Amino acid sequence: MTTLTSTAPRWQGTSVSAQIGILTGRSLRALLGDPKLVVFSVLQPLIMLLLFSQVFSGIAGTAGFPSGVSYIDYLLPAILVTSGVGAALQSGIGLVTDMKNGVLGRLRSLPINPSSVLVARSLSDLIRTALQLVILLVAAVALFGFSPAGGLLGVAPAFLLALAVSWSLSWVFLAVGAWLRNAETMQTVGFLAMFPLMFASSAFVPVEGLPTWLRVIATVNPMTYAVDASRDLALAMPVGGAVSGALAASAGLLLVGFVAAVRGFRRPLAAG
Amino acid sequence: MNDVMIEVDGVGRTFDDVTALDEVSLSVPRGSVLGLLGHNGAGKTTLVNVLTTMLPPTTGSARVAGFDVVAQAHEVRARIGLTGQFASVDENLSGTDNLILIARLLGASRREARARSAELLDLFDLTEAADRPARTYSGGMRRRLDLAASLVGRPDVIFLDEPTTGLDPASRIGLWEIVEDLVCTGTTVLLTTQYLDEADRLADSITVLADGRVVAAGTASELKARVGRRAVHVTLTSADDVPVALGSLERAGLEPVHDEPAAAVEADRAPARRARPSVVSTPVQASTDLAVVVRALDDVGVEVAELALTEPSLDDVYLALAKNKTAA
Ligand SMILES: Nc1ncnc2c1ncn2[C@@H]1O[C@H](COP(=O)(O)OP(=O)(O)OP(=O)(O)O)[C@@H](O)[C@H]1O
Ligand SMILES: [Mg+2]
Repeated sequence: MTTLTSTAPRWQGTSVSAQIGILTGRSLRALLGDPKLVVFSVLQPLIMLLLFSQVFSGIAGTAGFPSGVSYIDYLLPAILVTSGVGAALQSGIGLVTDMKNGVLGRLRSLPINPSSVLVARSLSDLIRTALQLVILLVAAVALFGFSPAGGLLGVAPAFLLALAVSWSLSWVFLAVGAWLRNAETMQTVGFLAMFPLMFASSAFVPVEGLPTWLRVIATVNPMTYAVDASRDLALAMPVGGAVSGALAASAGLLLVGFVAAVRGFRRPLAAG
Repeated sequence: MNDVMIEVDGVGRTFDDVTALDEVSLSVPRGSVLGLLGHNGAGKTTLVNVLTTMLPPTTGSARVAGFDVVAQAHEVRARIGLTGQFASVDENLSGTDNLILIARLLGASRREARARSAELLDLFDLTEAADRPARTYSGGMRRRLDLAASLVGRPDVIFLDEPTTGLDPASRIGLWEIVEDLVCTGTTVLLTTQYLDEADRLADSITVLADGRVVAAGTASELKARVGRRAVHVTLTSADDVPVALGSLERAGLEPVHDEPAAAVEADRAPARRARPSVVSTPVQASTDLAVVVRALDDVGVEVAELALTEPSLDDVYLALAKNKTAA
């Protein structure tokens, strides 16, 4: 039986970077095999865009609202950030699902570095998120007449900033997933955390327009800073401390999340 | 080439207050098959997890292919193949892509990976489904893909946790043949199973676990000899000779019974067996007893139409051990 005999020399293993490349390719291939997934993940932000642009359009011109800015131009930079945060949560949930369905069990039995699996997931999710945000931007321009003052040169950095926030948070959620290992809990906790973060922020209305108690929360809410940063860039407003603050916070979260995720992921899967 | 490929030394593993493994020791020489039997929850999967570096033992140590499963986990992983109890294929990838992924991670070039994948899909009769996503596979096809996946790297030691559960009879026999071929080429196999015929056919030695402890170990025939329920069934040409035959066999020191061919081996498991008026059966210990039977019948001039020696099956061993366990 030529198929089984060990005449061929044993393969010598792969470097960590090759492992990451191969595993990222695998996830992207699965994504291309099912592009529905990307399209569907854009639906939710699109619906939000539609609803909010109708419901809140009246607030353009109220207290704290930047003058001469249409509501859609005000809203979209925020939707970029919140979509990115949602995608980060999905990344963590995806990891837990993979842990349960055995795919990771197979990978863990191979002579590869377990962290490669994590980094590859994070990278392929980053690419997926980028794709989502691009679709969202194109749809916003085509369907909702999004045309911010910053033009392409303002929107591009806003998009990159949203990606950076999303990527760093995805490491936080990967860490939570690697330790918690329960998709339902993550989903619930994720949504419970997401909604207050989104609404008690400057995402949909200027902070000045919020009731006092919400305003207090919004001013300490990191989401406010990320949204403000994205908006400042897209609307070509004077870029204040928000951008550097958001980037610094992202870098910090990335670092903490990465270390925690790697450590959590090293715990044996079979230990439950 | 007779080195030990799996060596387990006093391995224990607890989960909170559950003791899944307790002082388990065993060793498997290169190119042989160890069958691991045991009731549900006996600790089979836990032992496989320890040996495949998926789970550190709480106590004791184990070496696979000469490497320590804790301190040299990476070296161990480079030399083993694992098919777990539950299929672990990527549902979103095709059969081909699943195998290519593993080969590439092991260091194969694109071309080598493609060739190896095609080879294994062919071996496991999956060529037709090769390009479909694995989520469209039937349970048995997934199982076979999972088995193929564990062979990609031509491992020295293969761990199969209930490999034939859910396979149809043809696929089961196909897998047995593949395991036999692998062993011929020097591969070492540890397999857990609930099917005693499987262990009987494939395993060079058998270890029975109960509640995390080794309760019996040896070759299939050693274990059967321990239960010791071999029997000889004599079909006489004439039913009239039965009393004479019984008398002579008793004088020869045996314990013959009439018309109860099932009595010696499976007393309570053949209630509907048809009566065979000319059959006399007797339990025997060694195969030399066969000569005693023949001589005793010849002495009294009884004509014999047929003579059969039945071995106890592993089922008997298994049930006997289970009985001991409840008695203890
Ligand atoms: N991750 C875990 N956490 C807690 N207990 C566990 C865990 N894994 C196994 N156990 C316990 O350890 C014991 C042995 O389980 P194991 O899966 O090894 O049995 P098994 O022999 O493979 O059984 P089966 O034939 O049903 O597959 C059982 O009592 C089980 O409940
Ligand atoms: Mg099991």
